[in-house]
Amino acid sequence: MLLKLYRRISPPNRQRIYIIPSRFGFMFAFFLLIMLLGAINYSNSMSHLLVFLLVSLGHTAMLHTHRNIAKIELKHCHAEPVFCGQTATFTVVINNPNQRDFHQIELAHQPNKIISWNPFKRLSGFVYKNHISLVPAQQSVSSTIEITTQQRGYQSLGRLRVSTLFPLGLFNSWTHFNTSARVLVYPQAEGILPLPVATNSGEKIMLSQQKGLDDFSGFQNYRKGDPIHSIAWKAVARDDVLRTKQFSGAHSGQRCLTWNDTAGVGNTEQRLSQLCQWLLISEQTKSSSQLELPNNTIAYGIGEQHLHNCLTALALYHDA
Amino acid sequence: MMHKAAPSSTSILWLMLGLTLAASPHFLYQPIWVSLVFLTAIAWRCMNIWFDWYLPSNKHYLVRIFQLVIAVAAILAITFNYGSTIGRDAGVAFLVMMLGLKVTEIRSQRDYYVTVFLGYFVVITNFFFTQSIPMVMMMFIVVIIMTACLITVNDPKHVIKKLQIVKLSGQMLVQSLPIMLILFVLFPRIAGPLWGLPQDSHSGSTGIDNKMTLGKISNLIQSDKVAFRVSFEGELPPPAQRYWRGPVLWLTDGTTWTEINRSLTSAVETNIEYSGAEYHYSLTLEPHNENWLFALDMPNKSPTTVKSHINADGVLQSNESVKQRVHYQLTSQPDYQFNQQHEPFVQRALELPDNHHNLSKQLAQQWRSETATDEAYIQRVLSHFNQSDFYYTLTPPLLTGDTIDGFLFNSRRGFCEHYAASFTVLMRAAGIPARVVTGYQGGEINPVNDTLVVRQRDAHAWTEVWLQDKGWVRIDPTAAVSSDRIEYGINEIMPLSMRSPLFVANSDALIELWQSINNNWDAVNNVWNLWVLAYGPERQRDFLTKLGMTNPNWQSIAIWLGSLLSLVFILLPLLLFYQRQQADPVVRLYQDFCSKLAKFQLIPATGEGPNDFANRAIKTLQHHKSDINTITQLYIDLHYGNKSHSITELQTAIKLFQPKKAQ
Repeated sequence: MLLKLYRRISPPNRQRIYIIPSRFGFMFAFFLLIMLLGAINYSNSMSHLLVFLLVSLGHTAMLHTHRNIAKIELKHCHAEPVFCGQTATFTVVINNPNQRDFHQIELAHQPNKIISWNPFKRLSGFVYKNHISLVPAQQSVSSTIEITTQQRGYQSLGRLRVSTLFPLGLFNSWTHFNTSARVLVYPQAEGILPLPVATNSGEKIMLSQQKGLDDFSGFQNYRKGDPIHSIAWKAVARDDVLRTKQFSGAHSGQRCLTWNDTAGVGNTEQRLSQLCQWLLISEQTKSSSQLELPNNTIAYGIGEQHLHNCLTALALYHDA
Repeated sequence: MMHKAAPSSTSILWLMLGLTLAASPHFLYQPIWVSLVFLTAIAWRCMNIWFDWYLPSNKHYLVRIFQLVIAVAAILAITFNYGSTIGRDAGVAFLVMMLGLKVTEIRSQRDYYVTVFLGYFVVITNFFFTQSIPMVMMMFIVVIIMTACLITVNDPKHVIKKLQIVKLSGQMLVQSLPIMLILFVLFPRIAGPLWGLPQDSHSGSTGIDNKMTLGKISNLIQSDKVAFRVSFEGELPPPAQRYWRGPVLWLTDGTTWTEINRSLTSAVETNIEYSGAEYHYSLTLEPHNENWLFALDMPNKSPTTVKSHINADGVLQSNESVKQRVHYQLTSQPDYQFNQQHEPFVQRALELPDNHHNLSKQLAQQWRSETATDEAYIQRVLSHFNQSDFYYTLTPPLLTGDTIDGFLFNSRRGFCEHYAASFTVLMRAAGIPARVVTGYQGGEINPVNDTLVVRQRDAHAWTEVWLQDKGWVRIDPTAAVSSDRIEYGINEIMPLSMRSPLFVANSDALIELWQSINNNWDAVNNVWNLWVLAYGPERQRDFLTKLGMTNPNWQSIAIWLGSLLSLVFILLPLLLFYQRQQADPVVRLYQDFCSKLAKFQLIPATGEGPNDFANRAIKTLQHHKSDINTITQLYIDLHYGNKSHSITELQTAIKLFQPKKAQ
C-alpha cells in the first residue's frame, strides 16, 4: 500500500525539478531574522508566533512552488523555416498531467550551451522568452518562443528552461528540457542581379496565360518568406488577413538558376542570397525553376515543396 | 530571466487594504497627524489607480518635491514629538509614516515585495502594544490579506479569481500551522532583552501610583482593566480581609501623599510576627511598570519565582519593575503584628505641614482631650464618619482650597482616598502615628475557573495607625461610612450604568447574561495569558517537563524539534502532492474499466478518445467485443451530455466486466 502511495507521488523517470529561493525569498528570510530578533528582545510571545508562522509559510510556499511545476511535460517543440534575419518562432506545447492547474509558467532558453566545472555557471545564460498564465489540469497549452536568426543553416533552440515563481514568488522552481528542436534558416533573399531570362520550351509546360508584365492575377494567403512589398496592405486594413498580390507575367516559363550566374555578386553568402531571391521571384511568377549548385542540383519543379527543397539546399550549402 | 512586470492595480489595491488594516490599531494611540499622513498616502495611491492622479516621479517632479517636503517634515515632526531617542512609540510612528510614503512610489516588483514585508513588520509592532485574543485574530486576517497580495502580484493577468486567491492564501497559512506550533513550543526561548529596551517599551499600563492626590483613584475606578488574578488553593479569605497591600504613603504636603525615601526604609529591619490562618495562592499580576508586587495583607515570605523582598513597609518589592505579566506563589496570614515594640520612623508618621488643615487640627485636639485613650479617640472619629452625614460616592464634588478641611467640614462626600487621607490627618493631629496604605480591596470570583479577579476599579486606600504594644493596626475609615464597599466589593455599590454597558442595564436577565459572558471570556483570557503569552524560558521548561522530557536541555530540545519537524516535512508534501481522485463518478468508473484493461497492456494514449481506445482494445480482446462496446457507449452517453442511462447501469456493467485472455 505504501509502495502504491509512493508510486503515485513519485513515478519513475520523472523530470528532475530544481528549487532555490528567489531574491525575494532571501529578502523575506532577512526580514524574518530581524523580526525574530525583535521578538526575542521584547520577549513577546505573539511576535514569536507570527515569525514562526511566516517561517512555516516560507516552507509551505516552497512545496506549493514545487507542486506548481511537478510532472510538467514538454509535448512538442517545433519551428517553421525562416529566412535569415527574420524571427524564428518555436511553438512549444506544455502539458499538465496533474489534477491541479499550473499557474505562471515562464519559458527561457539557453542559446549557447555553457560547459563549466561550476554547476552554477551552467544555470546562467538563460534568456527569458515567454510566459504562460495558466496550464489547466490535464490539458496542454501552446506558447511560442521567438529567436532572432543571424546565420543560415540549422539553428537549435538550445536548452529550454520551464520555471515558476508561483504562488508567493519566494522560491524559483524550474526544470530543463534538452530539446533537439532546431529551425532551418534559409539565406536572406537579396541581390541586385536581374532574374535570368526564362527559356520557354513551350512543349510540355504551358504554365500561364501570356499576359502583360506585372499583370495582377489575384490574391494568395501570406506565407512566411513572401516579400514584404508584395503584401496587399489595403486588404489587411479591410479584414486583418495577410495576403500577397499575385502577378502573372511574361516571365512564366522555365528557368535555370545556376551558381555561376551569380559570380558578379560577391562572396558565397551574397551569392546564396541572390539565388534565394531569384527562387522566390521565380516561384511567385509560377515559373518552373532548376537550381544548380557546385555540389548539388535540384531538378526543374514548381510549388511549395520544390521551393523548400531548393532553399534547404541553399541553407545547408557548404563550399566544396 | 524573471518576469518583471510592474505590479497590477489589483495587487496594489489589495496591498492598500492589508496595510491599512495592519496599521489601524496604531491610529488609536499615535499622534493623529501620523495617521493622517499615512491614510492620505494610501488614498493618494488609490486615487492614482481609480482616477489617474499623478504619483511622485521624475516626470511629475512637482509632486515629487511635495512628497519630499512631507517626508522631511514628518521626520522633523517625529523627532520634535518624541525627542531624539528612537523608542517604541517613535519607532512605530516612523515606520507607519515611511510606509505611507513608500506606498506612493511602488513601481517595481521589488518595491512591492519590500512593502509587503514591511507590512508584516507592522503586524508585529501591534503585538508590542497588545497581545489580546481579538488583536491576534485580526492580525491573522491581515496576514491572510498580505499573503494574498503576494499571490496577486504573481498573477499579473488575473487568471485566478479574487475569492480563490484569498482561499489559497488561507489554505497556505493553515498548512503552515503545524510547523508554527512545533516551533512555538520547542524553539529554545531566550530570556530577553538582547539589547536595551527603549524606555517606553511597556508604557500604557495602568495601575495605582506611589503617590496619592485626592481625585486620582477615581480615574482607576472607571477602569475595567484587570489588575491581577488570584487562584487560591483551598479556602478563600472572607471578603473583609481581602486587602491587597501596595505602596505605603507617609509624607504629605497638604494635598499629595508620597512614600518615604526608599534608601532609608530598605536598610531598616522589620519585625513582623505572623499568626492565625494561612492562605496559599498563586497570583498573576498584569504589568504596571512599577516595582511593587501585590499580595494579600500580609505575605509571610517573598515568592521564589520573582526576585523580590518584603520591605520595611511590609510591601512586596521586586528588584525590577513589572514590565510583563508575572506569576508567583505566596502564602499570607491576615493576623500579624507589625513592629509591635518599636517603630523607627514613628516621628515621620506624625508630621503634618504647617498652616494646613487648621480646622481639622483644632477638631482633633479638642476630641483627643475629651477622650481617655488613643483607642477611644479612634472610635470617636470613626463614629463621627459613621453617624454624621458623610456619604460614600464615586463622583464627589470638586474640592478647592484646603482639601481635607473642605472635605471634613463642607462637602462630606467622597470615597476611600478622601476618608483615608482625612482620617490620617485627624490621627496625626492628635499625636497618633498614622500612614496611608494604597492597594486593592475585594475582587470578584469568576465561577468559571474559580479565580478571584481584581480589577483597577477595586483600587483602595486605607489607614494604619501605630499603637504601642500593638504595632501597626489597619483601620479602614471607608468601612465606617460604607460597610458594603468592604463586605461586598465595589461592584455592589457602583451604579449599574458603570458596571455594564447601557444597552443591557435595564434588564436583570441581560445583566446576568452579560456577566456570564464576561466571566467565560475572562477565564479564556486567563488561560491565554498563563499558557500562551507567558510562554517564556521558565514556562517552556515546565511544559516540556510535563510532556515527559526529563531535564530539557538544548540537545534534547534539538532532537525533539528535529524529529517533529521531519515528520511534518514528510507528511505535508504527502498531503499536498496526493492526487485527488476524479471528482466525477462517471470518470472514476471509466478509470476502473481502464485499469482492468491495463493488465493487457491496453492504456489509453494521450489524445485517444474512448471510441478509438475501445477499437484498439477489441483487437486484443476479441471475445469481449460486446462488453467493451456497451461500456464505452454508456460512458460516452453519460459523460458527454446524453444522460439517458442511469449511472448504476455503467456501474454494474463495469463490475461484471472481467476480461480474460482468449484461450
